[in-house]
Amino acid sequence: MAKKLSMKKRYSALTRDLDWTPSYVDPEKVFPYTSFEGIKIHDWAKWEDPFRLTVDSYYKYQAEKDKRLYAVLDGFAQSQGHLSLSDAKYLNSMKLFLQGVTPLEYAAHRHFAFLARHYNGPGPRFAALCQSIDELRHTQTEIHTLSTYNKYYGGMHSWPSQFDRVWYLSVPKSFFDDAMSAGPFEFLIAISFSFEYLLTNLLFVPFMSGASFNGDLPSMTFGFSAQSDESRHMTLGLEAIKFLLEQDEANVPIIQAWIDKWFWRGYRLVALIAQMIDYMLPRKVMSWQESFELYFEEQMLNGLFKDLEFYGIKPPRHVEHAIAEKEILSHQVYWGLYSFSFAAAFTTTVPDAEHQDWLRAQYPGTFDKHYQPLWDKAAKIQADGGRFFFQGLPQLCQVCQIPMLFTEPGDSTTICQREREYQGERYHFCSDGCQWIFDREPEKYVQAWLPVHQIFQGNCGGPSVPEVLAWYGIQDGDGGEYVGSADHVDWERWHAAAPVRS
Amino acid sequence: MAVRAITETYDFPSRSRQELYGDDQLVHVLWKGNPLLCAAATFRAPRAMPFGEFLAGLIDPWAGSDPDYRPGAGRGWTLDGAAFDPSPEASLAELGVGHKSLLTFEA
Repeated sequence: MAKKLSMKKRYSALTRDLDWTPSYVDPEKVFPYTSFEGIKIHDWAKWEDPFRLTVDSYYKYQAEKDKRLYAVLDGFAQSQGHLSLSDAKYLNSMKLFLQGVTPLEYAAHRHFAFLARHYNGPGPRFAALCQSIDELRHTQTEIHTLSTYNKYYGGMHSWPSQFDRVWYLSVPKSFFDDAMSAGPFEFLIAISFSFEYLLTNLLFVPFMSGASFNGDLPSMTFGFSAQSDESRHMTLGLEAIKFLLEQDEANVPIIQAWIDKWFWRGYRLVALIAQMIDYMLPRKVMSWQESFELYFEEQMLNGLFKDLEFYGIKPPRHVEHAIAEKEILSHQVYWGLYSFSFAAAFTTTVPDAEHQDWLRAQYPGTFDKHYQPLWDKAAKIQADGGRFFFQGLPQLCQVCQIPMLFTEPGDSTTICQREREYQGERYHFCSDGCQWIFDREPEKYVQAWLPVHQIFQGNCGGPSVPEVLAWYGIQDGDGGEYVGSADHVDWERWHAAAPVRS
Repeated sequence: MAVRAITETYDFPSRSRQELYGDDQLVHVLWKGNPLLCAAATFRAPRAMPFGEFLAGLIDPWAGSDPDYRPGAGRGWTLDGAAFDPSPEASLAELGVGHKSLLTFEA
């Protein structure tokens, strides 16, 4: 009987040994995507696999994790676990997750499958294949995890089509479309390095710790089940950048420009997380500022980028603007969402007294001065029987597609406006970072599907708010003000002292 | 710099170009110094619309999101960064308000 192969040999036999060199077709025709970006690869075999994983061991391991997750989901559903959440409004953070992040997992699944075909080397092809399967599994497990809540709460019923239509979801969608429509190496720097490595802790830790602090056992368990995959993806991102930098010195400036671009693209996207962590969690985990300082400034700027100096890589362009706005970002973004939540599939509300005390303690330099007066005014409008909403459509940034609510660097009271004329047409940007991205590739960003402009062109169901909301698939009870919303009323009823009728 | 693409001819029209709005155009309006309105608003308006109508029909209802706003209270107008003193009878086109121009005011 043949001897059993060692792990290393087995891995090699099942991955790299399946590669062959085309002899009667031009390699350029077999792999048409890997030359136009200007990246030079001399030896694909130098790609080191961060994890020696084979398909059979991968499936076995993931199946174990799935079993544990689904056992938790069943138990939670059977014991009416949703009633022990910290508050119904906690679920706004998971609505945002389901609407904005789950579709990105699916997009990542699709594009890594494409890369699993199109890299010349078997090492990166196999790594992309594994990640593609991970991303599909994350999509599915996230859907199953949150379907527990869809039975009882608004805002979770139409997220796949909303991702393609709703104004605030065009922020994550356009981010990922930008990456998918780039070349295969830029995608790797955009998603595997900048997103999965640089910013992943800022994205996942707040959601999963938020889940754990707020009684959301299913999402917390999903988080644990995805964690080992995420660390594999992070390692892939790091391996990818080192491989590309070591292959040819001419790759360095190309990669630097991609880091500069994708740091800012990703950073603008996580603005949605900044408001979530400071405003949407009834039981707090940490502030955005603390989280940014720990996961970005300390771990990335003082850690990773020190290591990358060796290759001639500098910290991302415009990073100083991100640092300078860490005390104001979450407040600006949540105020924006509060102003427009009549057109959202989540609710917003004025932070209560205890929540405002926490914000004041976390942001002593900015909360009292700039944001307390806004909440006071909003509370007064509400006390008079109204509800403050922005009664119009906002100007959007041509690149990040977020309403232009960010302020000038160093001046938190003046809205930052940047403008470029390109081929006779004006374009506006929320920041130097977004303008710089446009200037590099204006031909790309003139094509942006800006939700506000599309509404005005008549492509979103009609000119009135009810028509647009119908086209968005947003129903009564999905958005608007939390106090008095269907979720709020149900929650109060479920927790009333009166016994539940049998 | 240009897009590095797999084709030699990477060239697509703007998805917000003026012709897509017929005789209308988009105009951005920012109320400076009022953080209650988190961003500038974008409106679609006919190029032939007199400024007074634009103000009363579009800007006032939007600025009225702030209950302290008084219709017509705007002053210190700018158009695309330059001082601007619009006559209410003149049309947007006559005043030089173009597609995706930025108007600002204080109140």
